[in-house]
Amino acid sequence: MPTEPFQSNPLRDGLNLRSIPDPCSLIIFGASGDLTHRKLVPALYNLAADGALPQAISVVGFARRDKTSEVFRKELGEAVRKFSRQAVNDELWENFSNSITYHRSEFDNPEGYVSLARHLEELDAARGTRGNRLFYLAVAPDQFEVILENLRKSGLNTAAPGSWARVIVEKPFGTDLPSARRLNDLVESAFDESQTYRIDHYLGKETAQNIMVMRFANAIFEAMWNSRYIDHVQITASEPLGVEGRAGYYDKSGALRDMVQNHLLQLLCLTAMEPPAGLDADSIRDEKVKVLRSLRPLAGDEVFRHVVRAQYGAGAVNGKRVAAYRDELNVNPESNTETFVALEVNVDNWRWAGVPFFIRVGKRLPKGGTEIAVQFKSVPPVLFRATGETVDDNVLVIRIQPDEGISLRMCAKMPGSSLRIEPVKMDFHYGTSFGKATPEAYERLLLDAMSGDATLFARRDEVEEAWKFIDLIHEAWRTRSNDLAIYSAGSWGPSEADELIKRHEATWRRL
Amino acid sequence: MEKAVTFDPSGLGLPVEIGLIDKELGKLWESSDDTKTRASLINFVIHTGDPSSLKADTEIISTIAAKHACRAILIFSNPSAPAPAAQAWINAHCHQTGKGERQLCSEQITFRLDGESANALPNIVFSHLDTDLPLCLWWQGDLPEPLDETLWSWVDRLIYDSAKWSRPVHQLHLVRHLTVGSGKGTVLCDLNWTRLQPWRYALASLFDHSAAFPKLNQIDSINVELGNGSRISAMLLLGWFASQLNWTAANSGESQSLFRGRQGEGRPLDEFLSPDNRKISFAITESQNQERNAVLIRCGDSEFELSHAANAEFFEARIHIPETIDSRQILPFPRRNTTDTLLAELSRAGRHPLYTKSLEKILPLLRR
Repeated sequence: MPTEPFQSNPLRDGLNLRSIPDPCSLIIFGASGDLTHRKLVPALYNLAADGALPQAISVVGFARRDKTSEVFRKELGEAVRKFSRQAVNDELWENFSNSITYHRSEFDNPEGYVSLARHLEELDAARGTRGNRLFYLAVAPDQFEVILENLRKSGLNTAAPGSWARVIVEKPFGTDLPSARRLNDLVESAFDESQTYRIDHYLGKETAQNIMVMRFANAIFEAMWNSRYIDHVQITASEPLGVEGRAGYYDKSGALRDMVQNHLLQLLCLTAMEPPAGLDADSIRDEKVKVLRSLRPLAGDEVFRHVVRAQYGAGAVNGKRVAAYRDELNVNPESNTETFVALEVNVDNWRWAGVPFFIRVGKRLPKGGTEIAVQFKSVPPVLFRATGETVDDNVLVIRIQPDEGISLRMCAKMPGSSLRIEPVKMDFHYGTSFGKATPEAYERLLLDAMSGDATLFARRDEVEEAWKFIDLIHEAWRTRSNDLAIYSAGSWGPSEADELIKRHEATWRRL
Repeated sequence: MEKAVTFDPSGLGLPVEIGLIDKELGKLWESSDDTKTRASLINFVIHTGDPSSLKADTEIISTIAAKHACRAILIFSNPSAPAPAAQAWINAHCHQTGKGERQLCSEQITFRLDGESANALPNIVFSHLDTDLPLCLWWQGDLPEPLDETLWSWVDRLIYDSAKWSRPVHQLHLVRHLTVGSGKGTVLCDLNWTRLQPWRYALASLFDHSAAFPKLNQIDSINVELGNGSRISAMLLLGWFASQLNWTAANSGESQSLFRGRQGEGRPLDEFLSPDNRKISFAITESQNQERNAVLIRCGDSEFELSHAANAEFFEARIHIPETIDSRQILPFPRRNTTDTLLAELSRAGRHPLYTKSLEKILPLLRR
């Protein structure tokens, strides 16, 4: 009886805890850019060094600058040595870099795409990449249209039978709902939704992925994950840095668009969503979209009651004097762009009725960190009242970065003959509990896109629902500018933000 | 005449009475300053019959504890000692964590069990485990017979090294018994298999090319050249090929025994049958002072070879498919000592289904 021919490499089966992706060509548009050098190629090198990539892989840099593949490899080699999370082994880099080529073309030159198609076919034959193509748009959104249009015209958006073609789109996914829709329509004109991977690197972080495991694999948490036991949730993303050379983009964007619309609403979704029907990408994303649709819209005067925007003035961070935002290079001296925003958000569904989610994000704050803090309700003030002891509420903190981990604050009796109650903390640190390095978010996300797993990527309706919520706030902001508060660089934001949370008889956590 | 046992307790810490271990450990922490935190995520137990390995084992525990905070128990058991005796020592391994302001500490308890006291092993182990934490037992050397049902049923991960066994065939059969007996929940972790992981990755990658993986249906022969004493390693690799490609052992039970064959000749030792009844011959060449280990796979005119020179950090991979591919590449070869291999094993959660399947494929060829 003749044996059925293999459709894939059976020696790969079960070899990894996750499967090795199919052989493929990764084509990076914007190959000369920062993202390619700092994140993408170091991530690819680390994956190769960990044996997580198939041997049959090609990386093609597509950019406008005139250079040879050899020069491109040399530049990338320097970048990898600088930005790789693990030490670079020269021979291994040499071997991996053999898979890298450079393709020079203007993004709007159709000929460049025809020659790219030829180049990819040659690579398929030489390296066994089987016609699988992953296009990475590491360029500014204003370049998307011309690139997608040319990919479509050259037929590179469609794969041969038995192969696949996918596209990774970097944020920002638009600047508001209309532009996001236009962008999505544009992407859809070349790639359907199942081929599209919208990257939000926060979702690639180990702790963000752990939120679901923590909630749904531990009976003790899920049973208490509702308005009966939870008082409020705080989601914070703080950084001591200023705009750091991103002023051109940031001054148009601001903290709400730059961080809240994508990263922080994604974290809110993971915290608030119902258990999905399965672990497949769409089951999870369906639940996240339900959360976004349940967000109580903030419009008109409600915005000024529930949202605080602020901008940093001059101050000191880590003992160094720093300039006010308006004095930063390439920032409009009269800019009203918010570098800090605090919001009180309500998720109007059964589980979360009456539980506010406080979101806070800012630049030039004293300390960098991203965390989700779930503040549990107080115990009835009965039993220990007579002792005069303060009973602190339980807090479960999920630290996204840095020092990824989870901690739970609870009360304990202090040893001694009298009854004294003190808060104690149970702490879990990824770094000390699991004896291996946490991979960079881009490593996981690149691997997932190559493997066709879209779980950690944003779906079109997620992006658009998030914009619907954000656009209403921006609309209200456009009507007046006198609500913009100024906070000193190096402080935890304006007093208005403290007032916002104080109305709920709570205070912001000290990170 | 019985071999003299040299036992050196220096480096094992504070001698304590077995009944007072918990109390003495408590004192140890009371006397330490506030910057030290005791942590434990697993019970890591090492059993050895070799007193000279205690120092090295303590060093291994110290390194492991830096990555996997644990309650470590080191047991030296000497059942042939004439008089029964049981002694214990305690110490701690502390490591800086984060930015260095705190130290995470793991406890180590060491036991010496002489004569009949060695039979009290399960009792001693279980009464000193950290409650509710998984038990990883590294059994150095040959497994004891008869297998103690109570002991094995409590072990979550049984770590051993089939490359170090004096009677590997017999021991592999014994291990297989564990997977069907009372210890069937136990995860078998053969360090020999873990050590082969880079080989399996690299061998698989030889067949990633679209022109290469169809050749897996056409394999005629596999030749494995390994250093002296590596037959079990070679067999595990062959078992892996057989399980992944659905081969069955030809003439099982009838074939010449691998472990009775002469060494160093590289002649075909046995055969597998593919699903379409093609014969696939395999040969294992063992030689002393092996400078180069290699696996050569022939599929008609095509050849796939993976080799590793002693001390090299890379594999050399060669693929030759007439008129299609003629390539040489290097692939990463992570050099691992015993501690690294253990760390790799402890960092990997879950079972080893490929190992169990590979074992099933080769056991018919390994007659006791």
